[in-house]
Amino acid sequence: MTGREYAWKRRPGWWLRNRRYLMFQLREAGGVVCALYGLVLLNMLIQLRAGESAYTAFLNLLRTPPVLYLNIVLFALVVWHALTWFMLIGKAQPIQFTRQPLPWKVVFGINVLLWLGVSGAVVYLIFGGI
Amino acid sequence: MLLEPIFWSLFSLGGFITAFLFPVTLFLLFFAAPFHLWPTDPAAYSTFVGHWKEPLVRLFFFVLIGGSLFHGTHRLKFMLMDAGFKGRSAEAFLDIIILNGVAIFGSLGALFYAVRGWLF
Repeated sequence: MTGREYAWKRRPGWWLRNRRYLMFQLREAGGVVCALYGLVLLNMLIQLRAGESAYTAFLNLLRTPPVLYLNIVLFALVVWHALTWFMLIGKAQPIQFTRQPLPWKVVFGINVLLWLGVSGAVVYLIFGGI
Repeated sequence: MLLEPIFWSLFSLGGFITAFLFPVTLFLLFFAAPFHLWPTDPAAYSTFVGHWKEPLVRLFFFVLIGGSLFHGTHRLKFMLMDAGFKGRSAEAFLDIIILNGVAIFGSLGALFYAVRGWLF
């Protein structure tokens, strides 16, 4: 038995019609950028394995002004993706410890605090501290 | 179709991983030293190769790369479908080439480099 296909209703460029759609699409783009950075990190490990000169050449390439400025834009998308992820946790899956579900802003605040804690742990456990 | 719940689960898990771990990692590796925002250069070869000896660091990068690839490629698939790249054969192409190709082989590549020099 096959299900009926839902008819496609959105027109091309629908996400340019208002600010909320644009922000949504930027968030989606941030998710794709995460995969791009995944490939960059994978290449970093490959260069690390290849030796110091290959690794340093790759790192220097990432630090040339055009790539660095492009990185800032892409990084902003990754941060936007993270923030909206923390926002949606409280909206898509309301956490209910009490009679009434917690407001999404409270859940967002808890997630941001958790994020700061996890980031601190990454600094010390993975990168050896300040 | 059978694997779809698995890909959705990996997408969701990857979302958590990238949201919590990516910003600080990217900041330390790509922005801290060039903009003089950190006392040391966490990405410098001598520093990074020292940390890379730790199994926890290797596991961290494997999880980070795998999670980001499964999350991002799944999003890309639906963005492309949104842009009009749709239909059964197009979806099958996206599933096989993008999800399977990039996410699975990329994750296996990360696993290989994570265990190489540690387990073999």
